Amino acid sequence: MIALCRIDDRLVHGQVAFTWVPALGINHLIVANDQVAGDEFQKLALGLAAPRGVTQRIMTVEGAVAFLNDPASTPLKILVLVKDVPDAARLARDVPAVTSINFGGIRSREGGSHVSKAVALTEGDIALVKALLEKGIELEVRQVPTDTRQRLENLL
Amino acid sequence: MSTASIIWITLIAVLGHSEDFLGTTLLSRPLVLAPLVGAALGDVHAGIVMGATLELIFMGNIKVGAAIPPDVITGGVLGTAFAITSGKGAAIALALAVPISILAEMLLSWLFVTRSVFNKAFARAAASGDWKRIQTLHVASGLLKPLLMGTVVCLSLLLGAGAMKSLLDLIPAWLNTGLVVAGNVLPALGFALLLNLMFRQDVAPYFFLGFILASYLHLPMIAIGGLGIIVAMIVTGRDTRADGGDPGAAGHNGRSDGAAAAHVLGAREIRAVFWRSMALEANFNFETWQNTGVAFALVPVLRLTCPDRASMARALERHLQFFNTSPYGSTLILGITAAMEEQRFKDPDFDEESINAVKLGLMGPLAGVFDSLFWGTLKVIAAGVGTSLALKGSLLGPLLFLAIFNVPHLALRYRLTFTGYRAGMRFLQRLQGSHVMDRLTQGASILGLMVVGAMPATLMTVGTPLRIGEGVTLQSVLDQVAPGLIPLGLTFLVYAGLKRHIKTSYLLVGLLALGFCGSLLHILN
Repeated sequence: MIALCRIDDRLVHGQVAFTWVPALGINHLIVANDQVAGDEFQKLALGLAAPRGVTQRIMTVEGAVAFLNDPASTPLKILVLVKDVPDAARLARDVPAVTSINFGGIRSREGGSHVSKAVALTEGDIALVKALLEKGIELEVRQVPTDTRQRLENLL
Repeated sequence: MSTASIIWITLIAVLGHSEDFLGTTLLSRPLVLAPLVGAALGDVHAGIVMGATLELIFMGNIKVGAAIPPDVITGGVLGTAFAITSGKGAAIALALAVPISILAEMLLSWLFVTRSVFNKAFARAAASGDWKRIQTLHVASGLLKPLLMGTVVCLSLLLGAGAMKSLLDLIPAWLNTGLVVAGNVLPALGFALLLNLMFRQDVAPYFFLGFILASYLHLPMIAIGGLGIIVAMIVTGRDTRADGGDPGAAGHNGRSDGAAAAHVLGAREIRAVFWRSMALEANFNFETWQNTGVAFALVPVLRLTCPDRASMARALERHLQFFNTSPYGSTLILGITAAMEEQRFKDPDFDEESINAVKLGLMGPLAGVFDSLFWGTLKVIAAGVGTSLALKGSLLGPLLFLAIFNVPHLALRYRLTFTGYRAGMRFLQRLQGSHVMDRLTQGASILGLMVVGAMPATLMTVGTPLRIGEGVTLQSVLDQVAPGLIPLGLTFLVYAGLKRHIKTSYLLVGLLALGFCGSLLHILN
């Protein structure tokens, strides 16, 4: 079961390991990112950050899709982390169990503008967001579980 | 209030808000600032007790990433100052501090957003390789926060002190009693917030161990912390012997393993990076976060490794990229970065891009490790010991609070700068291979939970005046059978609310109402 699907460009860090994992009782942390999955150094760094008592898997987005669609993953309490909106959109397209996406942190880049303190979206992101909303996927903006849950569509 | 007092208290608020220049050393906590305010107003004892009371309420209010908690600096300083000058107690300081800190937080959020406009000036300075200007901008923009909030505090004292005193004099005795009881109930929120972060089933027994040691055996907080360390060592020590632990010495890809050949950087530069890392968060903003702090800290390194303006410009631009990590572990990343900058200088084929790849790759994971260690454990223990002493009016409270947190913090932060520079990635591999991190976080959560378990029994004074027979109070029976049951019950009540995702502000108001009504109905005291 996917307890949370989160976009966070820092992937596993304090907010994830320290607030989301305990708050939701997560036991499986999936980092879905093609570049990280092929980079031994980043895997090492993320291995250090893995919260205790949680199985952390670093896989490509494609691998994550297969894992999440496998019925064997149903009893697990999973937190899926992706780095950006396109990867989240890929997951939402290919994994029916993704019905809600948490926007945690996307730093501002070229062409991006802030919709909240910690989330900046580009034109390309916004097009993907609109498509996701049309599909009926819930998009909410929260850095930590105790933040007020804001609907992304109200911030655009 | 005398002019001298107003100046002193303004300076205290400025000091608190300068903490971002001073290494996030907890100088800004109410437990430290309130006694200073007390000293400025000639009543240190009242300041210490108010500081402890405020610290208890705001204890769980942890800053993680960009989540900005209520501004306890402004709230605590003003609340304490108004309460002392009006001759009122800690309950009034608390009643004032909560709303003021929420208002002040809004102002701070605005500052963190608008500060980003300086990023253009930083970028221009970087493009021309002007490191001096980067330094000046970092400090100038960093000073905005202490100056802005200092002005707010000064104006509030000038305009509000008189009116506040007449207002507070109107408070009738029953209202005051109600506030006192509400204040006694409120720490349950702080404890529950801590529990929410730290509670896991596999370490749950240690919470109750801490509670029993405090409630039945009346052990002081320091003793419980000491026992916690011993228990944590026994439990985690056993784990490793089973694991064996393989150091995994094989070099990785040598990305940052500084070659043994002639070093360009000496201990002086690395030490300078440590000192400058204290100002890492001075120019925190919501667009690029700690980026200018990184550039500021690395200037001594770049001055020796960038032979011309063009390479200095490239390096400055590199380090003005988005950055955010735990300040406590930042020096490890800065040390590794220094080694890589040196490597780039010595090796013309070095891939400059890899510097940021490593830096940005490490910031998130290490933030997770160090935030949980420092915020999740060390600060909890420091606050537990500090508040338990300060509630009795002891000056040792704030002093031990600072010492317990900062002696390990500064020692580790200093060493990590050198470890990062000399051992770099090999150090990280060794860490992972030997399961040191696992043991450390496991031990830390055991120790932290024991101390949190002791808190309701030691630091909450709420009880019940109910009578269950002629001359027998319910509390006297409770004290014999299950002392500390009411504080523990309240803590778990709030914790259950948090688990049901009830908003913290609702829980705060609910607890206040519960304490207030409980006092009026003579159920709680």
